[in-house]
Amino acid sequence: MTTYDLIFYLFALIILVSAFIVVAARNIIYSAFSLLFTFFGVAGIYVLLNADFIAVVQVIIYVGGILVLIIFGVMLTNKITEVEIKTESFQVLPSIIISGIIGGTLVAIFTKTNWKVAEPQILDKTVTEIGRFLVSHYMILFELAGIILLVALIGSVMIARKEKLETEEVEK
Amino acid sequence: MENNSIQNILESLNYFTPELALMLTFFVLLLVDLFFRKSKYLLPAISLVGFIVSGYLLVYTPDVKGFLFSTGMTNIGLYVIDPFSFFFKILILLAMIYTILFSLSSKEINEAGGNRGEYYVLLSSFALGMFLLTSTIDLLLMYLSFELVSLSSYILAGFTRNVKRSAEASLKYIIFGAVASGAMLYGISILYGLTGTTNLYLINFYLSNQNIESLPLVIAGLLIIGGIGFKISMAPFHFWTPDVYEGAPITITAVLSVASKAAGFALLIRSLKIMFIDYTATNLQSSAWAILSQFKWNELIAGLAVLTMTLGNLAALWQSNLKRMLAYSSIAHAGYMLTGFVILDNQGIMAILIYFFIYLFMNLGAFFVVMLIADKLGSEEMEDYTGLGYKAPFLGVSLTIFLISLTGIPPTAGFVAKLYLFGALIKAKWIWLAVIGVLNSVISLYYYLKVVKNMFLRESEIEYSHNLGHGNLLITLSLLIPTLLFGIYFKPIIEFAEQSVRIFGF
Amino acid sequence: MSGIPYLTLVTFLPILGMIIVLLIKSEKIQLIRITAAIVTFLQIVIAALMWSKFNFSAAGINDQSSFQFVEKVRWIEIKNLADWIGTVKIDYFLGVDGLSMPMVLLTALISFLGVLASWNISKGIKGYFALYLLLDTGMMGSFVALDFFLFYVFWELMLLPMYFLIGIWGGPRKEYAAIKFFIYTLFGSVFMLLVMLGLYFSTYEILPDGSKVYTFNMLQMMNPVNYSKEGLLSPFNPNNLRFIAYIFLFIGFAIKVPMFPFHTWLPDAHVEAPTPISVILAGILLKLGTYGMMRISFPIFPEITNQLAYWIAVFGMINIVYGALCAMAQKDFKSLIAYSSISHMGYVLLGMASLTTQGMMGALFQMFNHGTITAMLFMIVGVIYDRAHTRGVNDFGGLALQMPVYTGITTVAFFASLGLPGLSGFISEAFVFLGAFSNETIRILAIISTLGILLTAAYMLWTMQRIYFGKLNPRWENLPDVNKLELAALSPLAVVVILFGIYPSPMLNLMNTSVNKLVEIVVNGQVTFSNLSALIK
Repeated sequence: MTTYDLIFYLFALIILVSAFIVVAARNIIYSAFSLLFTFFGVAGIYVLLNADFIAVVQVIIYVGGILVLIIFGVMLTNKITEVEIKTESFQVLPSIIISGIIGGTLVAIFTKTNWKVAEPQILDKTVTEIGRFLVSHYMILFELAGIILLVALIGSVMIARKEKLETEEVEK
Repeated sequence: MENNSIQNILESLNYFTPELALMLTFFVLLLVDLFFRKSKYLLPAISLVGFIVSGYLLVYTPDVKGFLFSTGMTNIGLYVIDPFSFFFKILILLAMIYTILFSLSSKEINEAGGNRGEYYVLLSSFALGMFLLTSTIDLLLMYLSFELVSLSSYILAGFTRNVKRSAEASLKYIIFGAVASGAMLYGISILYGLTGTTNLYLINFYLSNQNIESLPLVIAGLLIIGGIGFKISMAPFHFWTPDVYEGAPITITAVLSVASKAAGFALLIRSLKIMFIDYTATNLQSSAWAILSQFKWNELIAGLAVLTMTLGNLAALWQSNLKRMLAYSSIAHAGYMLTGFVILDNQGIMAILIYFFIYLFMNLGAFFVVMLIADKLGSEEMEDYTGLGYKAPFLGVSLTIFLISLTGIPPTAGFVAKLYLFGALIKAKWIWLAVIGVLNSVISLYYYLKVVKNMFLRESEIEYSHNLGHGNLLITLSLLIPTLLFGIYFKPIIEFAEQSVRIFGF
Repeated sequence: MSGIPYLTLVTFLPILGMIIVLLIKSEKIQLIRITAAIVTFLQIVIAALMWSKFNFSAAGINDQSSFQFVEKVRWIEIKNLADWIGTVKIDYFLGVDGLSMPMVLLTALISFLGVLASWNISKGIKGYFALYLLLDTGMMGSFVALDFFLFYVFWELMLLPMYFLIGIWGGPRKEYAAIKFFIYTLFGSVFMLLVMLGLYFSTYEILPDGSKVYTFNMLQMMNPVNYSKEGLLSPFNPNNLRFIAYIFLFIGFAIKVPMFPFHTWLPDAHVEAPTPISVILAGILLKLGTYGMMRISFPIFPEITNQLAYWIAVFGMINIVYGALCAMAQKDFKSLIAYSSISHMGYVLLGMASLTTQGMMGALFQMFNHGTITAMLFMIVGVIYDRAHTRGVNDFGGLALQMPVYTGITTVAFFASLGLPGLSGFISEAFVFLGAFSNETIRILAIISTLGILLTAAYMLWTMQRIYFGKLNPRWENLPDVNKLELAALSPLAVVVILFGIYPSPMLNLMNTSVNKLVEIVVNGQVTFSNLSALIK
């Protein structure tokens, strides 16, 4: 086991533990903060994979943008900090069995399969390459992602506005 | 090389015009909605024009049968234009146009007030997503367009304001949908891990030339089928369907049951056919499921098809809400169509295409009549339909014909659809499947006739009169006439479907 | 095809009538009725014309050239398809021979009389006659179609109108009866659909231009030469499914007959249906089941027919005896007649199963006679129900003096039904038994079946006694005798019954050549078809 592996497993552990806390925590604030570590862990793995640009983007967007937004949302929502969110489990036994089977199969797949391994490439300018790819090879995908985000935006605005209109109606 | 690939993309855009027209419609609608909120007819009119222009471009696009957006070795293309996708695009456009027309007279939509703009915007993005789904040959593009379709439909399903069941439907749809697309993405990633490419043709090439362990391949295939199965409401991924169909506005239910299902089937057929068929074999007919011959794919699909149609039909028997009943019936119809997919030769695919084309008219027709009655009656409960056949004879008779066609009794078009489907099964010697299929259509007769029974066999004192208006009359007729005409003279559909079974490369 | 398209006219005239009826305002009740009557009467005229031009020596069955009034037009033709599907063609192919001509006459006659019997329908007259005429087209079409696909379309076309006619104009349990009828018959016909598709993908027809195409043509299906090597239902295929297909097809037809144990829809449907619909149901619809067997099952699957003839006879026997016993136990006049129908259709099955000319002829003639006699019986029930609003057999008594004309006609019908010599029922039953006795394997069944004659006589006479003789129930002292309209509907049937009882030759001559040919095909076909299978093995 090389140092490289060691670092990888460290990050993986961080991701798993913090992701578990996100789900299991009873207080939403704890969940939100725990998510921070998950995102950082993922960024760390990107760094290990030599994907510097993606790692940076991960930190800026997920940690700097999305997470902060979530925490703001939590903070600004009335009384949500005191709400006990439901994290009780039911149907424990069946779900353990099913996820055990699925998990076992996946582990078997991951350990036994001959994955196609790409030649490691050392790129000095990843940003340029990504940019080039996005506007040539995957241009259509890039554009499509834009439309998807726009649709998501419209949807969220619609849902948000719906609430507002309803409250206005109630006030009237 | 760079210039070359840009050149290639620009050339490809010439063949991409129908999709571009839809994109343009999307943006125009968005902008117009900002400035002309009050106008009732402007947005639907723009959508209609957009769809029709897209249809025009579709028909007059040269049939290239080649890869679009290919930029060299690592990316041999993302998109194909072939008769198969043409068929489904026409189908989707027809469904979309009908949906817009339905929306014009739908009370639910017109009373939605401020959100009407988004409704049309999202419909066009929905159409765009389905267009992409029918022609994609790249797993990445497939996933992205899948998400576009899903996102648009989640929001559309929860569109009606202040209706609790609509919001509930939307939420359920999102949760189930997220799980399904997650599963699909997982399957895609396994496939990518095995082959190192996202292009369906390259995957096929790699799979047929390399010795690959079957387990990961089976898991990947199952996950992808499951993800798409969610879209076409295949059992056991159908749980969302009744709730969403019941909760969503009827126009959206109609379009979900036809167009989104069609796109799902197109994707299912194309991706599995390309990925898992060894098309280096000389006889493509018999080479169905050639890769992974040790795993009985078609028996699995046959089992799922039986499960889907039987569950759908049995559940439909107990429904008292017409919309919910039609939702279950649409699950059953997905089951019938899956039987065609079991064979996966040209005959089977042709049967699916024919089925879809006919299903479009009869199912949209049934939903439209239910919508018109619900707008007037304020209810979709079967009880309230009592004696309706005498109060509104035209609607009653139309609904009866649509339902009879859904059952598949001649001389309606539904019979032709079933005839070709069961014919394909018999020819391929899937006798037990055909027997279960026909028994299921006998079961379905019972619940379809329950509506007819309430409308005609019982009388009631309720006051109900329906002044249909010319527009609605024309729309109903435009659905009714094909339903009857194609039952007697079905040559055109068969020919259209026959010309459309050619998937690129096969 | 030359000259007047008689068969198209006779089949689609009712559709034309339906369109006219739909165009008439629903207030003009009399006009609607008269239109329906005229249309169905024209049907009789055309049928009679056809009978007069009929060539009695042409056999038909499996030979297109000896079919008469043939009309064959390409209905659907999809050419130049990819090689995996080839040309698809479906013909609009009509024709009659000695098997179908009697049925065409029967249909035309009963349809017209049914319209007369419908005169006092008071609710939704426009819808009623429109559906009635649609039903008429379905029935007539099924009898004259020679393309399996076309046959199937007509066959299914009958279901929906029938559903509505029972369901809207029926009695108290109409909803149940209507849906039961529909589900039962659809259940049967979907199996028929599968067999039809199986046959389609197993037989080739050689077109004039030399190309081989799959075919729905029934006549081509009767010829073993046309079967492909690997077809699912081909005798050349050692693993063929012809036996199962035969059973499927048989169930489809048996439900219509109705054959025990698929008969349970019939009493419900009959009891709930309005009188004219019962008349149609018993008079024509049931015949479609046995007609289908003769036209399709027997000549297409001759070797299996031979194999299973014994069992068909067994079911025929059960039908005869069971139906008669049930009829005896009925207290409702109408369901009594309904069960007697089951019993009488048993004779048809028995006659067919004998695979002899006499038996087959008897079966066919019995179909015609049962059509006329049962139609009469149901009208008789209708007459009394209209007046008394009850059908309880035990509620009446002594009507003979109160309604002499009515009783006279009833007597004719009852005696014809129990097979009194001199009336038409006797001739056909005699032929059936002649045939059944001459076939050694089913002789014992025939002997048991004669019990049915006894039972029929018993319940018919007993019913007669309970309703028409004895002391008059004072409740019915004011019952009027049959009116002119009812007489007009009943007397033609009485005439037919008596006429064919005394002088059956016109009808028998009509059937003779074709029946001979059919028997020959079934008996010889056994050899040809089984030899083929043997050769392969």
